[in-house]
Amino acid sequence: MSIKYESQKIAEYFYTFAVVLFLVQVLVGIIAAAQFIWPDFFILNFNTIRTLHINALVVWILVGLMGATYYVVSEESETELWNLPLVKLQFWATVVAITAVVLGYIWMGLQPQANSPIMGITPLNEGREYIEAPRWADVLIVISVLLFLFINFMTMLKTKKWTGIQGTLIGGLVFLALMYLPGMFYAKSMVKDQFWWWWVVHLWVEGAWEVIAGALLAFMLMKVVGAKREVVEKWMYIEVGFVMFTGILGTGHHYYWIGTPGYWLWVGGIFSSLEPVPLLLMVWDAFRTTRESRNVTNKAGLYYTVAHAIFNFVGAGLWGIIHTLPQVNKWTHGTQITTAHGHLAFYGAYVLLVMSMIYITLPAIRGVKEFNASRAFQSFWWMTISMVFIVLTITGAGMVQVYMERLMGLDYVAIKANYNLWFWIFRAIFGVGFLVGVMIFVIDFFKLGKKPMPSVSAAPEKA
Amino acid sequence: MSNKAARNLFIFGSLFFFVIFLALTFDTMGKLDKRAPVITEEVNAGKMVWHKYDCIGCHTILGNGSYFAPELMKITEKKPKGYLKQFLIDPKSTNARATMPKLGITSEEADKLLAFLDWTSKIDTNGWPPKPILATAAGVGGKELSEGQRLYQSLGCSGCHIINGIGGTTGPELTYIGSKRNRDWLFGHFKDPDKFVPKSAMPKVEAADADIEKLTEYMLSLK
Ligand code: HEC
Ligand code: HEC
Ligand code: HEM
Ligand code: HEM
Ligand SMILES: [Fe+2]
Repeated sequence: MSIKYESQKIAEYFYTFAVVLFLVQVLVGIIAAAQFIWPDFFILNFNTIRTLHINALVVWILVGLMGATYYVVSEESETELWNLPLVKLQFWATVVAITAVVLGYIWMGLQPQANSPIMGITPLNEGREYIEAPRWADVLIVISVLLFLFINFMTMLKTKKWTGIQGTLIGGLVFLALMYLPGMFYAKSMVKDQFWWWWVVHLWVEGAWEVIAGALLAFMLMKVVGAKREVVEKWMYIEVGFVMFTGILGTGHHYYWIGTPGYWLWVGGIFSSLEPVPLLLMVWDAFRTTRESRNVTNKAGLYYTVAHAIFNFVGAGLWGIIHTLPQVNKWTHGTQITTAHGHLAFYGAYVLLVMSMIYITLPAIRGVKEFNASRAFQSFWWMTISMVFIVLTITGAGMVQVYMERLMGLDYVAIKANYNLWFWIFRAIFGVGFLVGVMIFVIDFFKLGKKPMPSVSAAPEKA
Repeated sequence: MSNKAARNLFIFGSLFFFVIFLALTFDTMGKLDKRAPVITEEVNAGKMVWHKYDCIGCHTILGNGSYFAPELMKITEKKPKGYLKQFLIDPKSTNARATMPKLGITSEEADKLLAFLDWTSKIDTNGWPPKPILATAAGVGGKELSEGQRLYQSLGCSGCHIINGIGGTTGPELTYIGSKRNRDWLFGHFKDPDKFVPKSAMPKVEAADADIEKLTEYMLSLK
């Protein structure tokens, strides 16, 4: 395995930053879990820790996808990236901006008054879940993403190859960029605030990002099992098409109880219950393609790709559909059931996606002929088993909460402190198991191909 | 199906559904203001304070946010304002076991927050949160509620106290209060809690003496 174009190496910069943030995300996740047991566990309050946890998550996945995109666009366009120095500038500017935002969160955590509004705008933390980044950072993020899109577009223009994969990938990324904008203005009404906020959050994870995942899945199936382009691309269109047909109106599953008209119960209920269909298609696609081809070149890469398809379906599809009908959601809305779903969906759909892309492209970037995949498998099982148990534990906590708070009318404070305590303890323990998996992955990431290894996963010269 | 047909289906199908989504959004925007009270300057100022302290990092509101602390959309219906204000400024001053940190909220900020939370409590949310069906069933089925039990419910005591496992945790549990306090203490404490417990966070019971009498009777029956 080796890269065809020198500039594809830039992907490794993005991957490295992503992997470091992944480690940070999981470390603070464990602190957050401990604070459920001992609220005063850390110098920073729970809200700051949680903000760091979910922002690190979203940012590392986005940064990982950026690296993967540069790699794929260069490969699909069959040319060097347009203006490599500008790519490096975009990378370093992103790192600096993110670091500044994180320091701002910590400052506000230590000194809440530092976030007092200046001319009606909170300077360090917007106080809105997932998009806590303050307005000045929003602007920097938009500039960085526009620059990123522009560079990729110019690269494609060099050869005008317009393949289906890169077209869909860029389409998904443009949609992603556009859907950041509805989160960038202030609404006086909390109802409108949440209405537009879901455009960002829902249309990202159940729209734009799934389109990107569909395109990358097609790319990975081609690279790793040598599947035929015409076939993968056709199924890709069908999958991402279904994602959009169900996901756009599926946004309605967040408009049941926030002060919006009643017709959203119908719209959201019907369309969101169809959302698992394209995710199931992707699983079938991965299995069918894999079974048809015998020349697997990168076992670890294939393993992660198939696991991504499966857990995308389980986490987003199954754990999504259980609480998406209004009749169920009325009772589960805003409980730990949501947390359980959020974890398995993000892990299956996007953590495993970025990790598959890393395992498929990194060996080529490092110019490794063969690499020992045993660490890749070890980290996979540590992470996956721990995550499944975290999710089962929290689903249990959610069921107890729904029963006692929503059906019996007990106070959440009492449930949290007494009945759910053991669930919090088990989550923290499995969280440490997850951290072990992440550490094995981080070690593997930095060592892969750096030292000759006894061959386990043989990788031929050309993928 | 050819690749080109599949591609066109994806592109034009997505646009089609997006246009429907935009139309529904437009319709919704026209209806939202009628489904909630008018937003005054104070309500808006309260929303800014809400964002400033990142309350959503621990609480949910309208069911969205974090699941570390209770939902706040209807909190002003459940607990009296005076108590809530004292709590916001210094949580531990009302309840030594409170774990919400003292964030540095000023007295004016607390007023604004409460105006904001008052506003959210009046939004038409299609019936959310639902009434707990088991608790409601327990009240209806079985035996008739006594006069005192009904007062206990209508005056919102269970927002702060637990009886037989049900209720809030702000104040002490009342399941066995009848064997702990006598009639005079209970009656006097209801009229003016501060006289019996210095700096009490329990609000005065605003009711006629006859009703307070019935409430006391109910308390004494809890043994
Ligand atoms: C670090 C987490 C955290 C933050 C931040 C936070 N809270 Fe809380 N809050 C809690 C917890 C935990 C409780 C449950 C009661 C307790 O244990 O203190 C609570 C309870 C409350 C209550 C209910 C008190 C009662 O007796 O029912 C109100 C009202 C409240 N918070 C308002 C706010 C507001 C407004 C903000 C933002 C200015 C805020 N909280 C920020 C953790 C937090
Ligand atoms: C906003 C919260 C709140 C509400 C509402 C509330 N209480 Fe209390 N209550 C407290 C607190 C805090 C204490 C502890 C301080 C004290 O004893 O005054 C307390 C104490 C008590 C005590 C004494 C318990 C003991 O063990 O000494 C009784 C009895 C009582 N409340 C009954 C009631 C009744 C009946 C109602 C409804 C009319 C009610 N409370 C409403 C917060 C509340
Ligand atoms: C990869 C795709 C997905 C990801 C990453 C994801 C993630 C999340 C997250 C993080 C939340 C919580 C948001 C918050 O913090 O308030 C959430 C909520 C929700 N998700 Fe998903 N999700 C995905 C797909 C789906 C699908 C396909 C469905 C339905 C079939 C679904 C149904 C829901 C519902 C109903 C809620 C609201 C829960 C509530 O009422 O509290 N999700 N999702
Ligand atoms: C890659 C793995 C992980 C992903 C993708 C992930 C994702 C998320 C997301 C999306 C949220 C916010 C949404 C929600 O609460 O529904 C969240 C919250 C949280 N996460 Fe994670 N997380 C991961 C790992 C962990 C680990 C290992 C722990 C520690 C055991 C942890 C502990 C928490 C806690 C305590 C919260 C707050 C939940 C609440 O508000 O009740 N997470 N995480
Ligand atoms: Fe959604």
